[in-house]
Amino acid sequence: MATYKAPLRDMRFIYHEFLADQHLEDMPGMEDVPPELVDAVLEEMAKVAENILFPLNRSGDEEGCRLENGEVHTPRGFKDAYQRYREGGWPGLTSRPEYGGQGLPETVYVLTSEMMSASNLSFAIYTKLTHGAYQLLLKTASEEIKNLYLPNMVEGRWTGTMCLTEPQCGTDLGLLRTKAVPQPDGTYRLTGNKIFISGGEQDLSENIIQMVLARAPDAPPGVKGISLFLVPKFLVNPDGSLGPRNRIFCTAIEHKMGIKGSSTCSLSLEDAAGYLIGDLHKGLRAMFVMMNSARLEVGLQGLGLGEVAYQNAAAYAKERLQGRALTGPKNPDKPADPLIVHPDVRRMLLTMRAYTEGMRAMSAWVGAQLDKENRHPDPGIRQQAEDFVALLTPVVKAFFTDLGFETANLAMQVYGGHGYIREHGIEQFVRDARIAQIYEGANGIQALDLVGRKLPAHAGRYLRSFFHPVQRYLDERAGQAQLAFVTEPLAKAFGRLQRATAFIAERSLADPNEAGAAAYDYLHLFGLTTMAYCWARMAEIAQEKIKDDTTGFYQAKLDTARFFMERILPRTSGLFSAILSGSGSIMDFKDEAF
Amino acid sequence: MMKIEKMAVIGAGVMGSAIAAQAANAGVPVLLLDIVPEGATDRNMVAKNALKKLQETDPPPLMHRKNLARITPGNIEDDLEKLAEADWIIEAVIEKPDIKHRLYRNLDSVRKSGSVVSSNTSTLPLAELTRDMPENFRRDFLITHFFNPPRYMRLLEIVYGPETRPDALAALVDFGDRRLGKSIVHSNDTPGFIANRIGIFWLQLGLLEALRLGLTVEEADTVISRPFGIPKTGIFGLLDLVGLDLVPHIVPGMDRALPPNDPFHAISQVPDLVTRMIAEGYTGRKGKGGFYRLNRNRGERIKEALDLQTGAYRVSTKPELASIAAMKAGGLAGLLQFHDKTAEYARSVMAQTLAYAAEVAPHVADDLESVDRAMRLGYNWQYGPFELIDRIGDENLVRMLEAMGKPVPDLLRHDGPLYQVVDGRLHGLAFTGTGGTKPTLRAVNRPPGVLLLADVKRRSKPLTKNPSASLWDVGDGVVCLEFQSKMNTFDPLVLKLVHKAVDIVRSDYRALVIYNEADNFSAGANLGVLLFGVNIALWPEVENMVKQGQEAFKALEYAPFPVVGAPSGMALGGGCEILLHCDAVQAHAELYMGLVEAGVGVIPGWGGCKEMLLRAFADKKSPQGPMAPVARVFETVSVATVSKSAQEAKDLLFLRPTDGITMNRDRLLFDAKEKALALSESYAPPEPPVFYLPGPSGKAALDMAIGQYRRLGKATAHDAVVAGALADVLTGGDTDISKPLSEDDLLALERRAFMDLVKRKETIARMEHMLETGKPLRN
Repeated sequence: MATYKAPLRDMRFIYHEFLADQHLEDMPGMEDVPPELVDAVLEEMAKVAENILFPLNRSGDEEGCRLENGEVHTPRGFKDAYQRYREGGWPGLTSRPEYGGQGLPETVYVLTSEMMSASNLSFAIYTKLTHGAYQLLLKTASEEIKNLYLPNMVEGRWTGTMCLTEPQCGTDLGLLRTKAVPQPDGTYRLTGNKIFISGGEQDLSENIIQMVLARAPDAPPGVKGISLFLVPKFLVNPDGSLGPRNRIFCTAIEHKMGIKGSSTCSLSLEDAAGYLIGDLHKGLRAMFVMMNSARLEVGLQGLGLGEVAYQNAAAYAKERLQGRALTGPKNPDKPADPLIVHPDVRRMLLTMRAYTEGMRAMSAWVGAQLDKENRHPDPGIRQQAEDFVALLTPVVKAFFTDLGFETANLAMQVYGGHGYIREHGIEQFVRDARIAQIYEGANGIQALDLVGRKLPAHAGRYLRSFFHPVQRYLDERAGQAQLAFVTEPLAKAFGRLQRATAFIAERSLADPNEAGAAAYDYLHLFGLTTMAYCWARMAEIAQEKIKDDTTGFYQAKLDTARFFMERILPRTSGLFSAILSGSGSIMDFKDEAF
Repeated sequence: MMKIEKMAVIGAGVMGSAIAAQAANAGVPVLLLDIVPEGATDRNMVAKNALKKLQETDPPPLMHRKNLARITPGNIEDDLEKLAEADWIIEAVIEKPDIKHRLYRNLDSVRKSGSVVSSNTSTLPLAELTRDMPENFRRDFLITHFFNPPRYMRLLEIVYGPETRPDALAALVDFGDRRLGKSIVHSNDTPGFIANRIGIFWLQLGLLEALRLGLTVEEADTVISRPFGIPKTGIFGLLDLVGLDLVPHIVPGMDRALPPNDPFHAISQVPDLVTRMIAEGYTGRKGKGGFYRLNRNRGERIKEALDLQTGAYRVSTKPELASIAAMKAGGLAGLLQFHDKTAEYARSVMAQTLAYAAEVAPHVADDLESVDRAMRLGYNWQYGPFELIDRIGDENLVRMLEAMGKPVPDLLRHDGPLYQVVDGRLHGLAFTGTGGTKPTLRAVNRPPGVLLLADVKRRSKPLTKNPSASLWDVGDGVVCLEFQSKMNTFDPLVLKLVHKAVDIVRSDYRALVIYNEADNFSAGANLGVLLFGVNIALWPEVENMVKQGQEAFKALEYAPFPVVGAPSGMALGGGCEILLHCDAVQAHAELYMGLVEAGVGVIPGWGGCKEMLLRAFADKKSPQGPMAPVARVFETVSVATVSKSAQEAKDLLFLRPTDGITMNRDRLLFDAKEKALALSESYAPPEPPVFYLPGPSGKAALDMAIGQYRRLGKATAHDAVVAGALADVLTGGDTDISKPLSEDDLLALERRAFMDLVKRKETIARMEHMLETGKPLRN
């Protein structure tokens, strides 16, 4: 059986040491968030994840969801777990106090979210979209809507969903058909079909607040004619109590490869009452608030599954006896040596570890910028933070989920045949991790978002929020020999990233296919370089702490940093060469020959 | 042909005085006369006040303040005899036939024989103006209809009568074209002539339809402007500009003058709203406000718009229209087929206006091209009505008219296109007589001395091109380098083509002209490309961009053939620097040239500092010595001075005294080509210069000046930083007066200063602000 132990030691390192230079504590509102509080919150979430969620992970996967008479039944135990999750105040962890939230920083949320995804992704999905819907309503809805809906969502009594996809319209939202007809009272009536709606129907919460994209009459064609509507499962009376059932129904749930405990619903809107959120025809812009939040969440799913997969693979490699070390028996009194003696197994484990710890640092860096964006008194710094989050969102989504899947896959490899069979629970991680590369904008779309939108925006202003700090970091440490083992490889990778960025910007002026062909490799080059910067900084901190290192934690950090720099970062060289080869080999190939 | 060496303008109102100014700009002495007001102490008061106003008006009617001296103010009582000296007398007095007639009789008694008289009337027919006048006068008389402001509006409508002397006409056409720089359109003697005939119909219909359909002024001006290539003032912004008080004069006037079957009669009512606004003083920009106004509230300027329903002002908003979104998806057709009221408005106003143009064209003009040119140059439309019809498709227009139940003019039933390229030449429909006769396709005629790149493109393919620039063979061994990047900015592709031009001309041609037909010659280096490099901290590449520009311009300078720059409009930053490296410049009179790099927090890095120093040291008219020329360049460049005309550009040393000025935009390429050919007769590239610069002691002097500006609050903190870097380059860095510096030494100094500045966050903020808002940031 698989196990999960929340990586609290590493999380404390990330929050208290790695993020120290961000000075989160200086921002308004942070005086109520002392370090001990953060530690306590993380410990509490660790308990929830380890004791409540993880035990339901396998059973939820075995049982799946059921649709009966239009109602979805989640796997046994989910309802009770959700109740306990609510009672713990988790839904409102970072929400504003005026709506009943606890006002904790997003950085803390990022860490707790990883634990939830690691311990039970199917369960986590029900809760994550509520977080996104809350942010969406907070930024775009009227005071009236906010006052009516947000407190219940913050309390977790009501959950949120995101309804974009339709049978004919996936990535291309311009094809969307759901109609919204205005009513004399200012509300709308929506008719249409939505598919692939996570948590579109379930038995966990009292009401479901569906955020639906639809087209009003007279709307211009394409994505410029899409509006956003709030469509509750149960209509809400002005006093906040629940009214009659709205005409939005679950007609089917999908049978999937993974995340079987999460209901993936087909919804039918049959003249359902809806409320316009934000401006008419500007729904997509508003929805991006939720989509961006969801993309970061999905990135964290890759991290979470990578972490739990690594933990199990490492434990298995230490106990499973198989073969002898190449240099002679390490365990002569036993019939065989543990797997861990084999270089290739060690390569796999270190790869997994370097990924997960690197991702954790990156995710916390993004979380800290989210907090700066929300809280910092200096508008210039808020802007920079916002730029950074916008830039890193597609990287976190795609790079993390690719690495998450790769990590789960490596774990299966370490287990061998025992990973492929169901008994150890490893194959579930692989299945569950796979979806994260697809939903919330397939990873190829993330790469296009990075090169097509984020790179050229404001003549590269978003890039400045990343490139200038890294360049400064390198300039300040030029010639420091003790750090050269991390700064030199970082400088090389960073130089490649700079040149690839300029190359794509210049080439794509004349031919957009150049950007499209380079996009995926570029996103990985970006991800690896960002991770290298995080590893360099972690290594620097670890070096300072090493003399008082009693547990070996900092030594392991340094060693993992070295592994990353020597065995993983060189991939940037291959990516760089591939990018610079241009689009020819991809675009010249004749369509008929495929 | 008769010579026009002296002019007189009678009537020193806005139009009269500005026409006089344009004559003065052309180098012609001009007498400006007006009445003697009752009880005036100074009998020339009216004309003198007009001259004072000329100097305060923005944009300035005078191309150079010294041109003012060519205008002699006077009055029609004491100075009538002086009219005897004028070869051309322009009447620009109030639109009252009896006053004009009296004036004509008076001046006819003194004017010299063979002189030409013209009226600048916009409403009165020539037949009425010449009624009962002696034959001699009728033979010397024309209407010359200028557009406001005359320096900047390129249209001159000319109406001649059956008795007008052909040589008088030819003299005015030639003078108006070459000297005043106008594009001449012959109009028949019909009400409103050409541009206003169509323009007034369009404005009036646009006003009434917006009221009928319940649009806001912003909605109306958003949909009837950019989508049709019409200036962003649209209908209501333009009404504000020309003055609402003109509406109750012009509209009934046209109503009275037009033939009974004219479609204008159906829309000739003046709306109550307009009457009320005028009565309350809301006559537009010159009054308390119009359909828009700027409300100055405690130092803050808030743009407000009039609510057409309530007649009250509210804060103006920029509408985001579904119809505009539909246009972005489906082009002009997408907009015209869209189903909201703004699209209905566009359909109604534009379809009826274009139909009106088709209806009246045979009556008012010789050919369609004249009508299109009149609307382009008189109303600043990007496309004339018939070019618009070609874009929309005449069958689509017919369908729209039929759907609205409006009659379809015969011209729109014409078989075949309105314009066509035959044998590489543009042909357009022409009417052999006035009205009724069947139009035929005829080559569009360009006067001798007019060479348009647009025509070259119709008949040939580029020698080479990339997305940002092209090379064209413009005949007689001359190659034209054309920019076509966004705002004609310099990006790596443009620089690449500069090198290519040098290779091609060196081996196969005689000379190179750098010219294009966009509104502006070049806005300088592509700031977006530069800022991108800065944003990703790719410093070696940024420095390389500076170096590449320096090398490209140096290649032009030392090429073994003459290079002539032929700019019009703005030539800023790098656009100015490339011209500084040319052997000669033939400039359009409207040239706004300057080294504006300081505005974005850097210094000229493509040899601009070096070239300006060369010119200042070579200019024998200004003080010499080691420091004076340096200080002169510093004064110009540190505050990003831009010339307001080609004449001013000479003062600022951006142009050499020997550089030519062409008044008529259409003649620029021809003149530049002539210049290039003349230079190619015995051309030798220049010798590399040697500089002796003052070094740190000179810099200290400039630093003192900067400190002074800083203390006076005239320079911001970052202004001082940028000026300091400029001072360092101009004084030669770490040098002294005895040490010779090469061109490359100076280029290296430019690069160093540029790279130091471009890494600073204040400079980055300036560049970003300029890109986002188009305005400089003073930080």
